[in-house]
Amino acid sequence: MKKFALGFVAAIVVLPIGCMAYFALGFSQIRADAKPSALETSILQSVVRASVRRSAAVVPNPPAANEDAVLAGGKLYVAGCQGCHGELGGTYEQDRDHFPPVPELPHTGTQYSEPELYWIVKHGIRMTGMSAYGPFYSEKELWSLAAFLRRIEKLPPGMIEKIRTKKTG
Amino acid sequence: MKNFIAGFIAGTFLLIFGVLIYLRLGLLDIRSGIPVPALTARFLYSGIHASVRRTAPKLQNPLPQTDETLIAGGKLYLNDCVGCHGEPGKPSSDFGATFYPPAPQFPIHGTNYSEAEVFWVAKHGIRRTGMAAQGSSYTDPKLWSLAAFISRFPNLPPKVLEGIQQNAPK
Repeated sequence: MKKFALGFVAAIVVLPIGCMAYFALGFSQIRADAKPSALETSILQSVVRASVRRSAAVVPNPPAANEDAVLAGGKLYVAGCQGCHGELGGTYEQDRDHFPPVPELPHTGTQYSEPELYWIVKHGIRMTGMSAYGPFYSEKELWSLAAFLRRIEKLPPGMIEKIRTKKTG
Repeated sequence: MKNFIAGFIAGTFLLIFGVLIYLRLGLLDIRSGIPVPALTARFLYSGIHASVRRTAPKLQNPLPQTDETLIAGGKLYLNDCVGCHGEPGKPSSDFGATFYPPAPQFPIHGTNYSEAEVFWVAKHGIRRTGMAAQGSSYTDPKLWSLAAFISRFPNLPPKVLEGIQQNAPK
């Protein structure tokens, strides 16, 4: 029993030190122009989803989104998001330059709810390229972006054209 | 000895499951845009540098070491890097600070990476940061001029800093 406990403690001490040494000695792969493995993707995506779900649970429900809000969110998307997340109405292009790759939202849509999208845009996602936009957008803008993103892959007909016209709605 | 091995295996499983459960319950804070704790930062940055040192080929910059090379690299920098990494002579980038880990501000702090390492990072990017691979957008000679420019921060000759502002690309 004593030896069992000793082995148990040894594992708990040795493994984290081993992991840290692996990173500190530079054995980890860091180049971004590679494809994450399926296992890594599935673990990390579920980790992000779980953390967002927990954190965004305290976010109050959004003001009911009307067409104006979706339109305003769309204009913000075109101005601030599409450089990485894909052009509205453009063709699908697999991102090979970021690791993990940036989701092409106009094609994939999103499974996050509006309060979760609000939270993600405001706070960002650590250790991805997703930065925190809280300092740059008002609450109203964040909610309109969330309303737009929720609907991005199934916008009503004519909405993309309206978003693209220069006149601010 | 048998018991020791059994204990070791049990500890290994417990550790892995513990970490996975912690992550799956969403207990990990994933917000960007907040400062990285000092210890984490040191660990992250030294791990990244160690990996670059191990991976990046130790090449000499093939371009002539002239002001023209630096100016060409500086123009690329103004065009594509300043949004996150900061503009020479300006305060640090607010946008760069909203990433986790934040984008290093080269004009203020310079870099302790060699020219060959800067070239490699610009070409291949750094995973799990906002740093995208630029190899699909720029040729090697352009990236070498960029590496020459960035690795001379914050001690660039005034002539170069003036040169990059003249007829800057649109």
